[in-house]
Amino acid sequence: MKNLSIQERMSEVFRDVLDNDAIILTRETTADDIEEWDSLSHITIIVAIEKEFNVKFNLSDIKPLRNIGEFEDLIVLKTGIKG
Amino acid sequence: MTFNSFSYFFFLPVVFLLFQAVADRYRWLVLLMASYAFYGFLLQPSLPVILAFVTTFSFLAGKRIYCAPAGNKKKQLLLFSVLVNLAILVYCKYLVFLVENMNLLLGAFSEGFAIPEPEPMVSIALSFFIFQAISYLADIYFGITGAEGHPGHFALHMSFFPKLLQGPIERAGALLPQIREPYRFNYDDVRHGLLLFFWGLFLKSVVADRIAFFVDPVYNNVRAYTGIPLIIATYAYAFQLYFDFAGYTNMALGSARLFGIKLTQNFNSPYLANSFADFWRRWHISFSRWILDYIFQPLQMKWRNFGNNGTALALVVTFLLSGFWHGADWTFVIWGLLHGTFLAVATYYKPYKKKLHRKLGIDKSRWITIFQVAVTFHLVCFTYIFFRASTIGDAWHIVTNLFNIYSNYTTFKTIGLSEFIAANILIGNRKMVFIILICMLSIIGIVYRYRHTTLLDKPGWFRWVCYYGLFFLIVIFQITTKPNFIYFQF
Repeated sequence: MKNLSIQERMSEVFRDVLDNDAIILTRETTADDIEEWDSLSHITIIVAIEKEFNVKFNLSDIKPLRNIGEFEDLIVLKTGIKG
Repeated sequence: MTFNSFSYFFFLPVVFLLFQAVADRYRWLVLLMASYAFYGFLLQPSLPVILAFVTTFSFLAGKRIYCAPAGNKKKQLLLFSVLVNLAILVYCKYLVFLVENMNLLLGAFSEGFAIPEPEPMVSIALSFFIFQAISYLADIYFGITGAEGHPGHFALHMSFFPKLLQGPIERAGALLPQIREPYRFNYDDVRHGLLLFFWGLFLKSVVADRIAFFVDPVYNNVRAYTGIPLIIATYAYAFQLYFDFAGYTNMALGSARLFGIKLTQNFNSPYLANSFADFWRRWHISFSRWILDYIFQPLQMKWRNFGNNGTALALVVTFLLSGFWHGADWTFVIWGLLHGTFLAVATYYKPYKKKLHRKLGIDKSRWITIFQVAVTFHLVCFTYIFFRASTIGDAWHIVTNLFNIYSNYTTFKTIGLSEFIAANILIGNRKMVFIILICMLSIIGIVYRYRHTTLLDKPGWFRWVCYYGLFFLIVIFQITTKPNFIYFQF
Protein backbone atom coordinates (compact mmCIF):
# COMPACT_ATOMS: atom_id res chain seq x y z
CA MET A 1 0.00 0.00 0.00
CA LYS A 2 2.91 2.30 0.81
CA ASN A 3 4.12 2.65 -2.74
CA LEU A 4 0.75 3.38 -4.24
CA SER A 5 -0.01 6.95 -5.25
CA ILE A 6 -3.08 8.77 -3.92
CA GLN A 7 -4.81 8.24 -7.22
CA GLU A 8 -4.13 4.51 -7.19
CA ARG A 9 -5.42 4.21 -3.66
CA MET A 10 -8.54 6.14 -4.68
CA SER A 11 -9.01 3.81 -7.63
CA GLU A 12 -8.86 0.83 -5.27
CA VAL A 13 -11.57 2.37 -3.08
CA PHE A 14 -13.78 3.12 -6.10
CA ARG A 15 -13.38 -0.44 -7.41
CA ASP A 16 -14.21 -1.85 -4.03
CA VAL A 17 -17.27 0.33 -3.29
CA LEU A 18 -18.73 0.24 -6.80
CA ASP A 19 -17.75 -3.41 -7.28
CA ASN A 20 -16.25 -2.77 -10.69
CA ASP A 21 -12.68 -3.92 -11.28
CA ALA A 22 -12.41 -2.03 -14.55
CA ILE A 23 -12.32 1.42 -12.91
CA ILE A 24 -9.13 3.39 -13.54
CA LEU A 25 -9.25 6.97 -12.30
CA THR A 26 -7.44 9.91 -13.88
CA ARG A 27 -7.45 13.53 -12.78
CA GLU A 28 -10.07 14.26 -15.43
CA THR A 29 -12.48 11.46 -14.44
CA THR A 30 -15.95 12.70 -13.45
CA ALA A 31 -19.12 10.99 -12.22
CA ASP A 32 -20.37 10.99 -15.82
CA ASP A 33 -17.56 8.59 -16.80
CA ILE A 34 -18.46 5.86 -14.29
CA GLU A 35 -21.95 4.45 -14.54
CA GLU A 36 -22.27 3.30 -10.93
CA TRP A 37 -20.98 6.58 -9.50
CA ASP A 38 -24.24 8.48 -8.98
CA SER A 39 -26.00 10.57 -6.35
CA LEU A 40 -26.95 7.39 -4.51
CA SER A 41 -23.41 5.99 -4.20
CA HIS A 42 -21.53 9.30 -3.92
CA ILE A 43 -21.40 9.65 -0.12
CA THR A 44 -20.63 5.92 0.31
CA ILE A 45 -17.52 6.52 -1.80
CA ILE A 46 -16.64 9.67 0.16
CA VAL A 47 -16.92 7.80 3.46
CA ALA A 48 -14.74 4.96 2.15
CA ILE A 49 -12.13 7.52 1.04
CA GLU A 50 -12.30 9.09 4.51
CA LYS A 51 -11.48 5.70 6.03
CA GLU A 52 -8.71 4.96 3.52
CA PHE A 53 -6.91 8.26 4.17
CA ASN A 54 -7.98 8.65 7.80
CA VAL A 55 -9.50 12.09 7.21
CA LYS A 56 -12.88 13.82 7.70
CA PHE A 57 -14.66 15.90 5.09
CA ASN A 58 -17.56 18.35 5.38
CA LEU A 59 -20.38 18.49 2.88
CA SER A 60 -19.04 21.94 1.93
CA ASP A 61 -15.64 20.37 1.12
CA ILE A 62 -16.98 17.77 -1.25
CA LYS A 63 -19.96 19.45 -2.93
CA PRO A 64 -17.91 21.79 -5.15
CA LEU A 65 -15.61 18.98 -6.41
CA ARG A 66 -15.86 18.63 -10.18
CA ASN A 67 -13.47 15.78 -10.94
CA ILE A 68 -11.04 13.30 -9.41
CA GLY A 69 -8.19 15.81 -9.73
CA GLU A 70 -9.93 18.26 -7.40
CA PHE A 71 -10.80 15.42 -5.03
CA GLU A 72 -7.14 14.37 -4.98
CA ASP A 73 -6.05 17.95 -4.25
CA LEU A 74 -8.51 18.06 -1.35
CA ILE A 75 -7.03 14.86 0.11
CA VAL A 76 -3.52 16.32 -0.22
CA LEU A 77 -4.69 19.53 1.46
CA LYS A 78 -6.42 17.71 4.33
CA THR A 79 -3.82 15.01 5.01
CA GLY A 80 -0.55 16.55 3.93
CA ILE A 81 0.26 13.36 1.98
CA LYS A 82 2.17 14.11 -1.17
CA GLY A 83 0.44 12.97 -4.37
CA MET B 1 -52.55 26.29 -20.64
CA THR B 2 -51.27 22.78 -21.22
CA PHE B 3 -49.03 21.50 -24.02
CA ASN B 4 -51.83 19.43 -25.50
CA SER B 5 -54.38 22.26 -25.45
CA PHE B 6 -55.56 24.07 -28.54
CA SER B 7 -54.40 27.42 -27.21
CA TYR B 8 -50.81 26.19 -26.89
CA PHE B 9 -50.74 25.46 -30.61
CA PHE B 10 -51.26 29.20 -31.15
CA PHE B 11 -49.19 30.34 -28.23
CA LEU B 12 -46.00 28.47 -29.11
CA PRO B 13 -45.66 29.67 -32.74
CA VAL B 14 -46.49 33.27 -31.74
CA VAL B 15 -43.82 33.24 -29.02
CA PHE B 16 -41.37 31.62 -31.45
CA LEU B 17 -41.96 34.31 -34.11
CA LEU B 18 -41.70 37.13 -31.57
CA PHE B 19 -38.51 35.56 -30.22
CA GLN B 20 -37.04 35.49 -33.72
CA ALA B 21 -38.19 39.02 -34.55
CA VAL B 22 -36.71 40.96 -31.61
CA ALA B 23 -33.09 41.93 -31.04
CA ASP B 24 -31.03 39.40 -29.11
CA ARG B 25 -30.77 41.55 -25.97
CA TYR B 26 -34.59 41.48 -25.57
CA ARG B 27 -35.11 37.80 -26.25
CA TRP B 28 -35.08 36.86 -22.55
CA LEU B 29 -37.83 39.43 -22.03
CA VAL B 30 -40.04 37.83 -24.70
CA LEU B 31 -39.62 34.43 -23.05
CA LEU B 32 -40.17 35.83 -19.57
CA MET B 33 -43.38 37.61 -20.54
CA ALA B 34 -44.53 34.53 -22.44
CA SER B 35 -43.83 32.37 -19.38
CA TYR B 36 -45.88 34.55 -17.05
CA ALA B 37 -48.68 34.73 -19.64
CA PHE B 38 -48.53 30.93 -19.94
CA TYR B 39 -48.84 30.60 -16.15
CA GLY B 40 -51.53 33.28 -16.08
CA PHE B 41 -53.65 31.25 -18.49
CA LEU B 42 -54.36 28.83 -15.63
CA LEU B 43 -56.57 31.65 -14.30
CA GLN B 44 -55.21 31.36 -10.78
CA PRO B 45 -54.05 34.92 -10.09
CA SER B 46 -52.24 33.96 -6.89
CA LEU B 47 -49.86 31.58 -8.69
CA PRO B 48 -47.89 34.08 -10.83
CA VAL B 49 -47.71 36.34 -7.76
CA ILE B 50 -46.19 33.53 -5.69
CA LEU B 51 -43.78 32.74 -8.53
CA ALA B 52 -42.73 36.40 -8.70
CA PHE B 53 -42.25 36.52 -4.93
CA VAL B 54 -40.21 33.28 -4.78
CA THR B 55 -38.10 34.56 -7.68
CA THR B 56 -37.40 37.99 -6.15
CA PHE B 57 -36.75 36.55 -2.71
CA SER B 58 -34.42 33.81 -3.97
CA PHE B 59 -32.57 36.24 -6.24
CA LEU B 60 -31.82 38.58 -3.33
CA ALA B 61 -31.13 35.74 -0.88
CA GLY B 62 -28.76 34.14 -3.39
CA LYS B 63 -26.73 37.37 -3.55
CA ARG B 64 -26.57 37.60 0.23
CA ILE B 65 -25.46 33.98 0.61
CA TYR B 66 -22.85 34.43 -2.11
CA CYS B 67 -21.36 37.53 -0.48
CA ALA B 68 -21.46 36.24 3.11
CA PRO B 69 -18.13 34.98 4.48
CA ALA B 70 -17.93 31.20 4.98
CA GLY B 71 -19.16 30.17 8.42
CA ASN B 72 -22.22 30.45 10.59
CA LYS B 73 -23.62 33.60 8.97
CA LYS B 74 -23.63 31.96 5.53
CA LYS B 75 -25.26 28.84 6.92
CA GLN B 76 -27.96 30.82 8.73
CA LEU B 77 -28.76 32.75 5.55
CA LEU B 78 -29.12 29.49 3.63
CA LEU B 79 -31.34 27.92 6.30
CA PHE B 80 -33.53 31.01 6.52
CA SER B 81 -34.02 31.31 2.76
CA VAL B 82 -34.73 27.59 2.34
CA LEU B 83 -37.22 27.71 5.22
CA VAL B 84 -39.07 30.66 3.66
CA ASN B 85 -39.39 28.71 0.40
CA LEU B 86 -40.54 25.59 2.24
CA ALA B 87 -43.03 27.60 4.30
CA ILE B 88 -44.68 28.83 1.09
CA LEU B 89 -44.84 25.28 -0.24
CA VAL B 90 -46.30 23.90 3.00
CA TYR B 91 -48.83 26.73 3.27
CA CYS B 92 -50.11 26.33 -0.29
CA LYS B 93 -49.93 22.58 -0.67
CA TYR B 94 -50.05 20.89 2.71
CA LEU B 95 -52.11 23.14 4.99
CA VAL B 96 -55.39 21.32 4.38
CA PHE B 97 -53.73 17.94 4.93
CA LEU B 98 -52.01 19.12 8.11
CA VAL B 99 -55.19 20.61 9.56
CA GLU B 100 -57.22 17.51 8.65
CA ASN B 101 -54.75 15.22 10.40
CA MET B 102 -54.37 17.57 13.36
CA ASN B 103 -58.14 17.50 13.77
CA LEU B 104 -58.14 13.70 13.64
CA LEU B 105 -55.50 13.65 16.32
CA LEU B 106 -57.23 16.30 18.46
CA GLY B 107 -60.55 14.54 18.01
CA ALA B 108 -59.07 11.50 19.68
CA PHE B 109 -58.40 13.51 22.82
CA SER B 110 -61.22 16.01 23.05
CA GLU B 111 -64.45 15.64 21.20
CA GLY B 112 -65.94 18.60 19.42
CA PHE B 113 -62.75 20.62 19.25
CA ALA B 114 -61.47 21.20 15.74
CA ILE B 115 -59.39 23.75 13.85
CA PRO B 116 -61.45 25.23 11.01
CA GLU B 117 -60.31 23.69 7.72
CA PRO B 118 -58.85 26.11 5.19
CA GLU B 119 -59.94 26.17 1.54
CA PRO B 120 -57.72 23.93 -0.61
CA MET B 121 -55.40 25.98 -2.82
CA VAL B 122 -54.35 25.31 -6.37
CA SER B 123 -50.62 24.72 -6.32
CA ILE B 124 -49.79 23.73 -9.92
CA ALA B 125 -46.06 24.12 -10.64
CA LEU B 126 -45.34 25.38 -7.13
CA SER B 127 -43.38 22.35 -5.91
CA PHE B 128 -41.34 22.37 -9.12
CA PHE B 129 -40.19 25.99 -9.01
CA ILE B 130 -39.70 26.00 -5.25
CA PHE B 131 -37.41 22.97 -5.57
CA GLN B 132 -35.53 24.82 -8.28
CA ALA B 133 -35.16 27.87 -6.02
CA ILE B 134 -33.86 25.73 -3.14
CA SER B 135 -31.30 24.01 -5.36
CA TYR B 136 -30.13 27.44 -6.60
CA LEU B 137 -29.60 28.67 -3.03
CA ALA B 138 -27.88 25.46 -1.90
CA ASP B 139 -25.61 25.44 -4.97
CA ILE B 140 -24.49 28.99 -4.17
CA TYR B 141 -23.84 28.00 -0.55
CA PHE B 142 -21.73 25.02 -1.59
CA GLY B 143 -19.82 27.05 -4.16
CA ILE B 144 -21.13 24.98 -7.07
CA THR B 145 -22.51 28.05 -8.79
CA GLY B 146 -22.25 31.83 -8.39
CA ALA B 147 -25.16 34.20 -7.69
CA GLU B 148 -26.88 35.34 -10.88
CA GLY B 149 -26.43 39.07 -11.43
CA HIS B 150 -29.17 39.63 -14.01
CA PRO B 151 -32.63 39.64 -12.40
CA GLY B 152 -34.32 39.06 -15.76
CA HIS B 153 -32.21 36.02 -16.58
CA PHE B 154 -32.85 34.61 -13.14
CA ALA B 155 -36.61 35.21 -13.43
CA LEU B 156 -36.58 33.35 -16.74
CA HIS B 157 -34.56 30.53 -15.18
CA MET B 158 -37.33 30.15 -12.61
CA SER B 159 -40.31 30.54 -14.93
CA PHE B 160 -39.29 29.32 -18.42
CA PHE B 161 -42.65 28.00 -19.64
CA PRO B 162 -41.60 24.66 -21.18
CA LYS B 163 -40.43 23.42 -17.78
CA LEU B 164 -42.63 25.49 -15.47
CA LEU B 165 -45.60 23.21 -14.83
CA GLN B 166 -44.02 19.77 -14.46
CA GLY B 167 -40.25 20.22 -14.73
CA PRO B 168 -37.63 19.02 -15.51
CA ILE B 169 -36.30 20.65 -12.33
CA GLU B 170 -33.32 22.52 -13.74
CA ARG B 171 -30.06 23.33 -11.96
CA ALA B 172 -28.70 26.85 -12.18
CA GLY B 173 -25.45 25.50 -13.61
CA ALA B 174 -27.31 23.84 -16.49
CA LEU B 175 -29.97 26.38 -17.49
CA LEU B 176 -28.63 29.86 -16.61
CA PRO B 177 -25.57 29.70 -18.90
CA GLN B 178 -27.88 28.79 -21.80
CA ILE B 179 -30.12 31.77 -21.04
CA ARG B 180 -27.12 34.11 -20.92
CA GLU B 181 -25.63 32.91 -24.17
CA PRO B 182 -26.50 34.90 -27.31
CA TYR B 183 -29.07 33.03 -29.40
CA ARG B 184 -28.14 31.82 -32.86
CA PHE B 185 -30.81 30.34 -35.10
CA ASN B 186 -30.11 26.67 -35.70
CA TYR B 187 -32.35 24.87 -38.15
CA ASP B 188 -31.53 21.45 -36.67
CA ASP B 189 -32.60 22.62 -33.20
CA VAL B 190 -35.97 23.66 -34.58
CA ARG B 191 -36.46 20.39 -36.49
CA HIS B 192 -35.38 18.35 -33.50
CA GLY B 193 -37.60 20.39 -31.19
CA LEU B 194 -40.67 19.87 -33.36
CA LEU B 195 -40.00 16.15 -33.68
CA LEU B 196 -39.64 15.78 -29.88
CA PHE B 197 -42.78 17.84 -29.34
CA PHE B 198 -44.98 15.80 -31.67
CA TRP B 199 -43.51 12.52 -30.45
CA GLY B 200 -44.40 13.61 -26.91
CA LEU B 201 -47.90 14.64 -28.00
CA PHE B 202 -48.34 11.23 -29.60
CA LEU B 203 -47.22 9.41 -26.41
CA LYS B 204 -49.61 11.49 -24.34
CA SER B 205 -52.71 11.87 -26.49
CA VAL B 206 -52.67 8.57 -28.34
CA VAL B 207 -50.91 6.10 -26.04
CA ALA B 208 -51.27 7.23 -22.41
CA ASP B 209 -54.83 8.53 -22.67
CA ARG B 210 -55.90 5.35 -24.47
CA ILE B 211 -54.44 3.12 -21.75
CA ALA B 212 -56.35 5.23 -19.21
CA PHE B 213 -59.62 3.73 -20.50
CA PHE B 214 -58.59 0.47 -18.91
CA VAL B 215 -57.16 1.93 -15.72
CA ASP B 216 -59.64 4.56 -14.59
CA PRO B 217 -62.83 2.45 -14.46
CA VAL B 218 -61.11 -0.06 -12.18
CA TYR B 219 -59.22 2.40 -9.97
CA ASN B 220 -62.21 4.70 -9.63
CA ASN B 221 -64.32 1.84 -8.34
CA VAL B 222 -61.86 -0.73 -6.98
CA ARG B 223 -64.25 -2.50 -4.63
CA ALA B 224 -66.21 -3.84 -7.60
CA TYR B 225 -63.19 -5.91 -8.65
CA THR B 226 -60.92 -8.64 -7.44
CA GLY B 227 -58.00 -10.53 -8.98
CA ILE B 228 -57.13 -10.25 -12.66
CA PRO B 229 -58.82 -6.89 -13.44
CA LEU B 230 -56.88 -5.32 -10.55
CA ILE B 231 -53.62 -6.82 -11.81
CA ILE B 232 -54.21 -5.71 -15.40
CA ALA B 233 -55.26 -2.22 -14.37
CA THR B 234 -52.15 -1.84 -12.21
CA TYR B 235 -49.76 -2.90 -14.99
CA ALA B 236 -51.68 -0.72 -17.44
CA TYR B 237 -51.27 2.19 -15.06
CA ALA B 238 -47.49 1.69 -15.00
CA PHE B 239 -47.47 2.29 -18.75
CA GLN B 240 -50.06 5.07 -18.65
CA LEU B 241 -48.01 6.98 -16.08
CA TYR B 242 -44.78 6.49 -18.01
CA PHE B 243 -46.20 7.53 -21.40
CA ASP B 244 -48.06 10.43 -19.83
CA PHE B 245 -45.02 11.84 -18.08
CA ALA B 246 -42.46 10.92 -20.76
CA GLY B 247 -44.85 12.41 -23.33
CA TYR B 248 -45.05 15.62 -21.33
CA THR B 249 -41.25 15.72 -20.88
CA ASN B 250 -40.64 15.27 -24.61
CA MET B 251 -43.05 18.13 -25.31
CA ALA B 252 -41.22 20.28 -22.74
CA LEU B 253 -37.81 19.41 -24.19
CA GLY B 254 -39.10 19.97 -27.72
CA SER B 255 -40.64 23.38 -26.89
CA ALA B 256 -37.43 24.54 -25.18
CA ARG B 257 -35.32 23.35 -28.09
CA LEU B 258 -37.17 25.75 -30.41
CA PHE B 259 -35.52 28.55 -28.43
CA GLY B 260 -32.11 26.88 -28.52
CA ILE B 261 -32.35 25.62 -24.92
CA LYS B 262 -31.60 22.02 -23.96
CA LEU B 263 -33.45 20.89 -20.85
CA THR B 264 -32.46 17.89 -18.75
CA GLN B 265 -33.61 14.49 -20.00
CA ASN B 266 -35.97 13.04 -17.39
CA PHE B 267 -36.25 9.40 -18.49
CA ASN B 268 -33.99 6.61 -19.66
CA SER B 269 -36.06 3.45 -20.22
CA PRO B 270 -37.03 3.21 -16.52
CA TYR B 271 -38.78 -0.15 -16.76
CA LEU B 272 -35.54 -1.77 -17.91
CA ALA B 273 -33.93 -0.96 -14.54
CA ASN B 274 -32.35 -3.95 -12.82
CA SER B 275 -32.70 -2.60 -9.26
CA PHE B 276 -34.52 0.16 -7.41
CA ALA B 277 -31.33 2.22 -7.36
CA ASP B 278 -31.15 1.79 -11.13
CA PHE B 279 -34.85 2.69 -11.43
CA TRP B 280 -34.23 6.04 -9.76
CA ARG B 281 -31.31 6.63 -12.11
CA ARG B 282 -33.77 6.30 -15.01
CA TRP B 283 -37.14 7.59 -13.72
CA HIS B 284 -37.91 11.31 -13.26
CA ILE B 285 -34.16 11.89 -13.24
CA SER B 286 -34.17 15.64 -12.48
CA PHE B 287 -36.35 14.98 -9.41
CA SER B 288 -34.44 11.93 -8.14
CA ARG B 289 -31.14 13.81 -8.44
CA TRP B 290 -32.68 16.66 -6.48
CA ILE B 291 -33.88 14.56 -3.55
CA LEU B 292 -30.66 12.54 -3.51
CA ASP B 293 -28.37 15.60 -3.66
CA TYR B 294 -30.24 17.87 -1.26
CA ILE B 295 -31.91 15.47 1.18
CA PHE B 296 -30.27 12.05 1.03
CA GLN B 297 -26.61 13.08 0.80
CA PRO B 298 -26.63 15.54 3.72
CA LEU B 299 -28.49 12.96 5.86
CA GLN B 300 -26.16 10.12 4.85
CA MET B 301 -23.15 12.32 5.60
CA LYS B 302 -24.59 13.23 9.02
CA TRP B 303 -25.30 9.61 9.91
CA ARG B 304 -22.20 8.10 8.35
CA ASN B 305 -20.87 6.84 11.67
CA PHE B 306 -23.79 4.41 11.78
CA GLY B 307 -22.62 2.67 8.61
CA ASN B 308 -25.27 0.81 6.64
CA ASN B 309 -27.93 1.65 9.23
CA GLY B 310 -27.32 5.35 8.69
CA THR B 311 -27.54 4.96 4.91
CA ALA B 312 -30.70 2.86 5.16
CA LEU B 313 -32.38 5.37 7.46
CA ALA B 314 -31.37 8.28 5.20
CA LEU B 315 -32.95 6.45 2.25
CA VAL B 316 -36.20 5.79 4.07
CA VAL B 317 -36.49 9.41 5.25
CA THR B 318 -35.62 10.78 1.79
CA PHE B 319 -38.17 8.69 -0.05
CA LEU B 320 -40.80 9.29 2.59
CA LEU B 321 -40.40 13.00 1.87
CA SER B 322 -40.44 12.25 -1.85
CA GLY B 323 -43.83 10.62 -1.31
CA PHE B 324 -45.04 13.77 0.43
CA TRP B 325 -43.77 15.90 -2.42
CA HIS B 326 -46.04 14.00 -4.80
CA GLY B 327 -49.09 14.86 -2.79
CA ALA B 328 -50.52 15.58 0.61
CA ASP B 329 -52.01 12.14 0.99
CA TRP B 330 -51.10 9.03 2.95
CA THR B 331 -51.20 6.93 -0.25
CA PHE B 332 -48.18 8.85 -1.59
CA VAL B 333 -46.42 8.60 1.76
CA ILE B 334 -46.74 4.80 1.66
CA TRP B 335 -45.58 4.73 -1.96
CA GLY B 336 -42.47 6.71 -0.92
CA LEU B 337 -41.95 4.54 2.15
CA LEU B 338 -42.04 1.39 -0.02
CA HIS B 339 -39.40 2.79 -2.38
CA GLY B 340 -37.26 3.90 0.56
CA THR B 341 -37.57 0.47 2.17
CA PHE B 342 -36.63 -1.43 -1.00
CA LEU B 343 -33.58 0.82 -1.45
CA ALA B 344 -32.66 0.51 2.23
CA VAL B 345 -32.86 -3.29 2.18
CA ALA B 346 -30.58 -3.30 -0.87
CA THR B 347 -27.83 -1.47 1.04
CA TYR B 348 -27.51 -4.52 3.32
CA TYR B 349 -27.52 -7.29 0.75
CA LYS B 350 -25.78 -5.48 -2.11
CA PRO B 351 -22.20 -6.34 -0.99
CA TYR B 352 -23.10 -10.04 -0.87
CA LYS B 353 -25.15 -10.11 -4.06
CA LYS B 354 -22.30 -9.97 -6.56
CA LYS B 355 -20.16 -12.31 -4.47
CA LEU B 356 -22.98 -14.83 -4.43
CA HIS B 357 -23.51 -14.48 -8.18
CA ARG B 358 -19.80 -15.02 -8.76
CA LYS B 359 -19.76 -18.10 -6.57
CA LEU B 360 -22.69 -19.54 -8.46
CA GLY B 361 -20.99 -18.60 -11.73
CA ILE B 362 -23.98 -16.56 -12.91
CA ASP B 363 -22.54 -13.05 -12.56
CA LYS B 364 -22.10 -12.62 -16.32
CA SER B 365 -25.29 -14.43 -17.27
CA ARG B 366 -27.88 -12.53 -19.29
CA TRP B 367 -30.59 -14.43 -17.43
CA ILE B 368 -29.68 -12.94 -14.09
CA THR B 369 -30.09 -9.43 -15.55
CA ILE B 370 -33.42 -10.37 -17.14
CA PHE B 371 -34.54 -11.82 -13.82
CA GLN B 372 -33.50 -8.66 -11.94
CA VAL B 373 -35.27 -6.41 -14.47
CA ALA B 374 -38.43 -8.49 -14.17
CA VAL B 375 -38.39 -8.46 -10.34
CA THR B 376 -37.73 -4.70 -10.22
CA PHE B 377 -40.53 -3.98 -12.70
CA HIS B 378 -43.10 -6.03 -10.80
CA LEU B 379 -42.15 -4.44 -7.48
CA VAL B 380 -42.33 -0.96 -9.02
CA CYS B 381 -45.81 -1.83 -10.33
CA PHE B 382 -46.77 -3.01 -6.86
CA THR B 383 -45.83 0.39 -5.42
CA TYR B 384 -48.03 2.06 -8.07
CA ILE B 385 -51.08 0.57 -6.35
CA PHE B 386 -50.53 3.15 -3.62
CA PHE B 387 -49.56 5.85 -6.08
CA ARG B 388 -52.77 5.52 -8.08
CA ALA B 389 -55.38 4.45 -5.51
CA SER B 390 -57.63 7.27 -4.31
CA THR B 391 -57.51 6.25 -0.65
CA ILE B 392 -55.55 3.96 1.63
CA GLY B 393 -58.68 1.82 1.92
CA ASP B 394 -58.82 1.36 -1.86
CA ALA B 395 -55.14 0.47 -1.99
CA TRP B 396 -55.59 -2.06 0.80
CA HIS B 397 -58.54 -3.63 -1.03
CA ILE B 398 -56.34 -4.05 -4.11
CA VAL B 399 -53.37 -5.47 -2.22
CA THR B 400 -55.50 -8.00 -0.36
CA ASN B 401 -57.55 -9.00 -3.40
CA LEU B 402 -54.84 -9.11 -6.08
CA PHE B 403 -54.70 -12.88 -6.11
CA ASN B 404 -58.32 -13.53 -5.33
CA ILE B 405 -59.12 -16.25 -7.83
CA TYR B 406 -62.85 -15.61 -7.90
CA SER B 407 -62.22 -12.72 -10.19
CA ASN B 408 -64.81 -11.14 -12.40
CA TYR B 409 -62.66 -10.95 -15.48
CA THR B 410 -65.69 -11.02 -17.77
CA THR B 411 -66.87 -7.70 -16.37
CA PHE B 412 -63.43 -6.26 -16.94
CA LYS B 413 -63.44 -7.27 -20.60
CA THR B 414 -66.12 -4.71 -21.33
CA ILE B 415 -64.38 -1.97 -19.42
CA GLY B 416 -63.33 0.95 -21.51
CA LEU B 417 -64.81 -0.71 -24.57
CA SER B 418 -67.49 1.88 -25.22
CA GLU B 419 -65.00 4.72 -24.68
CA PHE B 420 -62.48 2.91 -26.84
CA ILE B 421 -64.96 2.51 -29.70
CA ALA B 422 -66.14 6.10 -29.34
CA ALA B 423 -62.53 7.29 -29.45
CA ASN B 424 -61.85 5.34 -32.61
CA ILE B 425 -65.05 6.36 -34.38
CA LEU B 426 -63.17 8.13 -37.15
CA ILE B 427 -61.60 4.88 -38.28
CA GLY B 428 -64.76 3.13 -39.39
CA ASN B 429 -64.69 -0.58 -40.17
CA ARG B 430 -62.51 -3.29 -38.68
CA LYS B 431 -60.33 -3.90 -41.74
CA MET B 432 -59.30 -0.27 -41.67
CA VAL B 433 -58.45 -0.56 -37.98
CA PHE B 434 -56.10 -3.42 -38.81
CA ILE B 435 -54.35 -1.58 -41.65
CA ILE B 436 -54.03 1.60 -39.62
CA LEU B 437 -52.72 -0.39 -36.67
CA ILE B 438 -49.89 -1.82 -38.80
CA CYS B 439 -49.02 1.64 -40.18
CA MET B 440 -49.18 3.01 -36.65
CA LEU B 441 -46.84 0.41 -35.24
CA SER B 442 -44.30 0.88 -38.04
CA ILE B 443 -44.32 4.67 -37.69
CA ILE B 444 -44.00 4.36 -33.91
CA GLY B 445 -41.12 1.94 -34.36
CA ILE B 446 -39.27 4.16 -36.81
CA VAL B 447 -39.78 7.41 -34.91
CA TYR B 448 -38.87 5.77 -31.62
CA ARG B 449 -35.74 4.25 -33.13
CA TYR B 450 -34.58 7.53 -34.63
CA ARG B 451 -36.22 10.09 -32.40
CA HIS B 452 -33.09 11.64 -31.01
CA THR B 453 -31.08 12.71 -34.01
CA THR B 454 -30.65 10.18 -36.75
CA LEU B 455 -34.13 10.52 -38.24
CA LEU B 456 -33.18 14.09 -39.09
CA ASP B 457 -30.28 12.83 -41.22
CA LYS B 458 -32.43 10.49 -43.33
CA PRO B 459 -33.43 11.35 -46.91
CA GLY B 460 -36.29 13.84 -47.29
CA TRP B 461 -38.92 11.38 -48.53
CA PHE B 462 -38.31 9.06 -45.56
CA ARG B 463 -38.48 11.86 -43.02
CA TRP B 464 -41.63 13.36 -44.44
CA VAL B 465 -43.40 10.00 -44.52
CA CYS B 466 -42.61 9.69 -40.81
CA TYR B 467 -43.65 13.28 -40.03
CA TYR B 468 -46.96 12.95 -41.87
CA GLY B 469 -47.49 9.49 -40.39
CA LEU B 470 -46.98 10.76 -36.88
CA PHE B 471 -49.14 13.81 -37.49
CA PHE B 472 -52.07 11.81 -38.89
CA LEU B 473 -51.79 9.21 -36.16
CA ILE B 474 -52.15 12.00 -33.62
CA VAL B 475 -55.09 13.55 -35.48
CA ILE B 476 -56.92 10.26 -35.98
CA PHE B 477 -56.14 8.46 -32.75
CA GLN B 478 -55.90 11.23 -30.18
CA ILE B 479 -58.15 11.03 -27.16
CA THR B 480 -59.72 14.39 -26.55
CA THR B 481 -61.57 13.62 -23.36
CA LYS B 482 -58.59 13.44 -20.99
CA PRO B 483 -56.52 16.56 -21.51
CA ASN B 484 -54.68 16.79 -18.18
CA PHE B 485 -51.26 15.38 -17.42
CA ILE B 486 -50.91 13.16 -14.34
CA TYR B 487 -47.93 15.05 -12.88
CA PHE B 488 -49.93 18.28 -12.94
CA GLN B 489 -51.25 17.61 -9.47
CA PHE B 490 -47.76 17.39 -8.00
